[in-house]
Amino acid sequence: MIEAISLTKMYGTKKGVENISFKVDRGEIVGFLGPNGAGKTTTMRLLTGFLYPNDGDAYIEGNSIIEKPLIARKYIGYLSENNPLYEDLKVKEYLDFRGRVKGLKGKELKSRIDYVVERCEIKDVISKLTGSCSKGYRQRIGIADALINDPPILILDEPTQGLDPAQIYHTRELIKSLSVEHTVILSTHILSEVEAICSRALLIQKGNLIFDGSLEEMKNAFKKNQVLDITLLCDETKGSEILSSIKKIDKFEEVKNEGENGSSFLVYSLEGEDIREEIFWKCFEERIPILQLHERKKSLEEAFLKIISEEPKEEEVQ
Amino acid sequence: MNKLLSVTKKELLHYFYSPMAYVVLWAFLLVNGFLFYVILSALSKTASPPISPLSIIFGGSFFFYLLTIVITVVITMRLGAEERKQGTFETLLTSPINDFEIVMGKFLSAFIFYLIAWLLTLIYVFIVKAYQKDLDFGPIISSYLGTLLLGMFFISIGLFASMISKNQIVSAVIATLIITMLLGITFLGFISSGITREIFQYLDLLTIMDNFSKGIVDSRNLIYLLSGTAFFIALSEKSLEARRWQ
Repeated sequence: MIEAISLTKMYGTKKGVENISFKVDRGEIVGFLGPNGAGKTTTMRLLTGFLYPNDGDAYIEGNSIIEKPLIARKYIGYLSENNPLYEDLKVKEYLDFRGRVKGLKGKELKSRIDYVVERCEIKDVISKLTGSCSKGYRQRIGIADALINDPPILILDEPTQGLDPAQIYHTRELIKSLSVEHTVILSTHILSEVEAICSRALLIQKGNLIFDGSLEEMKNAFKKNQVLDITLLCDETKGSEILSSIKKIDKFEEVKNEGENGSSFLVYSLEGEDIREEIFWKCFEERIPILQLHERKKSLEEAFLKIISEEPKEEEVQ
Repeated sequence: MNKLLSVTKKELLHYFYSPMAYVVLWAFLLVNGFLFYVILSALSKTASPPISPLSIIFGGSFFFYLLTIVITVVITMRLGAEERKQGTFETLLTSPINDFEIVMGKFLSAFIFYLIAWLLTLIYVFIVKAYQKDLDFGPIISSYLGTLLLGMFFISIGLFASMISKNQIVSAVIATLIITMLLGITFLGFISSGITREIFQYLDLLTIMDNFSKGIVDSRNLIYLLSGTAFFIALSEKSLEARRWQ
């Protein structure tokens, strides 16, 4: 389990992340989402103990990253952003070194190396220099390293960055299969990645956590006004008259509907209002049949773009 | 201890997988062999040598310091700088290994390399022994001891310089600068007087090495070299901690 409590990191006078709090339970697979430079990597570096926070603390399986850093780090397998490897070591030597650094030795080390090599499918490159491996293999070597001491938590910083589509697919499948046994936090600036793998999203923008919840909640949370496609069996003047009389409607515009009966409109409600019922009763009173009433659902992509293009407000941070 | 040694092993692999190790060892043995040859030829011409031949190899000549500085700086300059540049510090520092183990593991690997270089020169001792039966081993042992201790001191300085730089050349320049300043204390001793003169004499590496080559093992010299080493190892460790707070 991971618990971050108001983590704040300043780089000199520049803000890295500010007041970030969240909790990740065992078995969850959480996506850190945000544009480049939002503070995803900084947050991960704080959790893994590469950086210490200026304020706040985080607990990894109950161990403070500041007071018990060695124990906390033992529970984390970390794939850092550019996945740096010792390029002049062979893959096997690299994994051997990483295993030993994480406290494995003897038979246990050997069996763990065999396991991660099998699991991450890197058998073909085991006697090659890590520096001569392709990007896809390098990424899997990094994941194998993260897995080597069987940590309960995996923190993967942009695990699919720079891979080709086939490699992205394989890496995602691998991460999905790992999430059965491990709690996974991964960061990405690609929304579809979160949709493909994660059950929950944390949104970071300009160093602040602006959203924490499921993907469904994310869609809803940022749906501020209702957008309806509506077609009424009447002429445009009558239609406009009816819509103008409903106070909860913010604005509406006429839409051409070639070949259809009646007139069509695109209707925007005021913030937070559901206007479908009112439209129905109004049309009923006027004896105007509704041919179509359809709510435009915002895609996650739209929600995401809207969120990251907005300045974070105080109430959203909460 | 297992973690510390795994760092040492990794660093030794780096040395011997790159051509650097072989070039350094080759150059080191070449210069030392040349010195040995010059000394032997000179000694076989004069009946009583003006200075002890051992002090020429160990500390009495400009060559000794040049070699020691070059070898220690070259083998330490990439220890931290390379990790920083490649970004591998991030994987290393987020592993469950403490900073002291990382620093000591690296220090030990450089020291082992330095030890190997000097052990190879033992062959000269055996060559001399073959021709001179009544060889006095005392000064030879103390000379090697002094050389190893001086090497430890310089390696710790090189390690510290490498820990704080991202570029190997910058690291080498910083290390050379610190070592040169320490050697320069000899001259400060000449131009000062009273208590400061005594302090400078205590810190005078040239005199210290001269003592070792004469067979004198002075505890003050041992303490200076060992505590200097410990000081720079501690600084290296602190520099790693400082990285996390930056």
